[in-house]
Amino acid sequence: MKRKLIHHLFRALTGLCALASCAILAGIVASIVMRGWSALNWDFFTQQIALVGASGGIFYNVIGTLILLATAFVVCTPLALGFSIVHSVYLRDSHWRGKLTLLLYLLNGVPSILFGIVGMVIFVQVLGWGKSWLAGGILLGLMILPTVSVTLIERIGSLPIKYTEAAIGLGLRKSQIIRSVILPQSIGGLITGLMLGLARAAGETAPIMFTATIFAGASIPGGIKESPVLSLPYHIFILAQDSYDPAVKAKLWGSALVLIILVLGLSLVALPARLKIHEEANHA
Amino acid sequence: MLEPILQTSELSVSAGSKKILNPVSLDIPEGGVFGIIGPSGAGKSTFLKSINRLTELSNGLKVSGQVYHRGDPVYGVGVDTDNLRSRIGMLFQQPVVFPCSILANTLFGVRHLGKVPRKEWNNVAEKALREAALWEEVKDRLKKPGQQLSVGQQQRLCLARTLATGTDVILMDEPTSALDPRSTEAIEGLILDLKETHTIVLVTHNMRQTERVCRTVAFIGLRDKVGTMLATGKLTDLQTKCCEIPELEDYLCCELTEPIPKAKAC
Repeated sequence: MKRKLIHHLFRALTGLCALASCAILAGIVASIVMRGWSALNWDFFTQQIALVGASGGIFYNVIGTLILLATAFVVCTPLALGFSIVHSVYLRDSHWRGKLTLLLYLLNGVPSILFGIVGMVIFVQVLGWGKSWLAGGILLGLMILPTVSVTLIERIGSLPIKYTEAAIGLGLRKSQIIRSVILPQSIGGLITGLMLGLARAAGETAPIMFTATIFAGASIPGGIKESPVLSLPYHIFILAQDSYDPAVKAKLWGSALVLIILVLGLSLVALPARLKIHEEANHA
Repeated sequence: MLEPILQTSELSVSAGSKKILNPVSLDIPEGGVFGIIGPSGAGKSTFLKSINRLTELSNGLKVSGQVYHRGDPVYGVGVDTDNLRSRIGMLFQQPVVFPCSILANTLFGVRHLGKVPRKEWNNVAEKALREAALWEEVKDRLKKPGQQLSVGQQQRLCLARTLATGTDVILMDEPTSALDPRSTEAIEGLILDLKETHTIVLVTHNMRQTERVCRTVAFIGLRDKVGTMLATGKLTDLQTKCCEIPELEDYLCCELTEPIPKAKAC
């Protein structure tokens, strides 16, 4: 009787926790949709910011965010690939593997504001770039490196060993096995990691506010030095400080809705590949 | 007397402080099928994998002694293990077909080893698939995924892939244990055909198969819980040694359903 009671109590408690998590997420999304929906129209997407955010749209903010994400993608992809291959293949039996994993988790734990400050010192002050889209993209790329690498390492780890064994049995060298067996089958993991990482990067303000983005007065960057971009998270950050103005408030929620659509969209793209990796890992 | 293509000299394997295989010294002559029999867990597969250094993929396995392939040492500084494995191929218990087409699977080793010019690839693939008795069944669907083939066909595809690399020794680790009788028969037929041009080292539990295809047999049994090579020779010779080697008697009694005529003489 007592065992049964504990069983039901445990089930109810865990169910309640799961429900609470879903409710919080649904609540946030619903709240943003209800407040921001009215702001969405053609002009909002195609016009540039006007009247300090109280009028106009977010065209260059979306473009700027996409430029930052694309740069982060280009910076992060080779680094994550190299890191994961060294970790999973070349250091497979080495004690350095554990140390590398620790380094990855430490990097993941670095607060984003620190990325911003370090980036400001290196890119803005030492290299003299001023505010630059490239500095922001590099910082975002480094920030998402742990997320992408861990997903890729998980994927490589879940690959059936029989493929590697068969390729080695044929006399293929390690680099050939990486090219012909590991990389083609890990591409899903790379895409998943990148989408999850970029979804996180899309909403980051701290690393780019000192290094890459301004509130108004920028369009498509023409070079590297002194070439800032507008961005959605920084736009929201500034508008939130003036949100007592109803016109600004509407634009604020509209921008937030566009950002959340972007983040959810990237996460949804990653979901099927992520589920497949877990399924294969469980059946390997 | 045929020159041995493979020789093992005091070849032993251990995992940490645990011995897996006591020193084995034997000569495997060129051409024909050399069988390795013995109970499960005796170290037959480990012995097989130690011939082309595939044991190096298993963490913690330490191999001592030496293997010679055509007189060249397999273990030692400066040995090109990748090149060695391309000459001593391996066919696994379960067919391992890569997630690509039948043609790409057949050429998987060839295209990376760089021994054959690109324009020759199609000819090499056809020759290998013919040798593996698979050409007629797949010639119209070479671009289809290899994983769509039946298990028996997949095993023949793996054999074709190994043959395409120009290997002269094929190590076979219970290649028919996952197959139905018909596919087993097909693979056995292939082994008999291939023994004219290749040296095959076959690990098997199937005594009928051993009788049908193996010229010489080595028995690896468990003595004091360590794999030990206890007898070599023709299968009929091994049967006469039953009363001298209790492990062999136990094994043959369990594996053979019919009485062993020569064993009765003991």
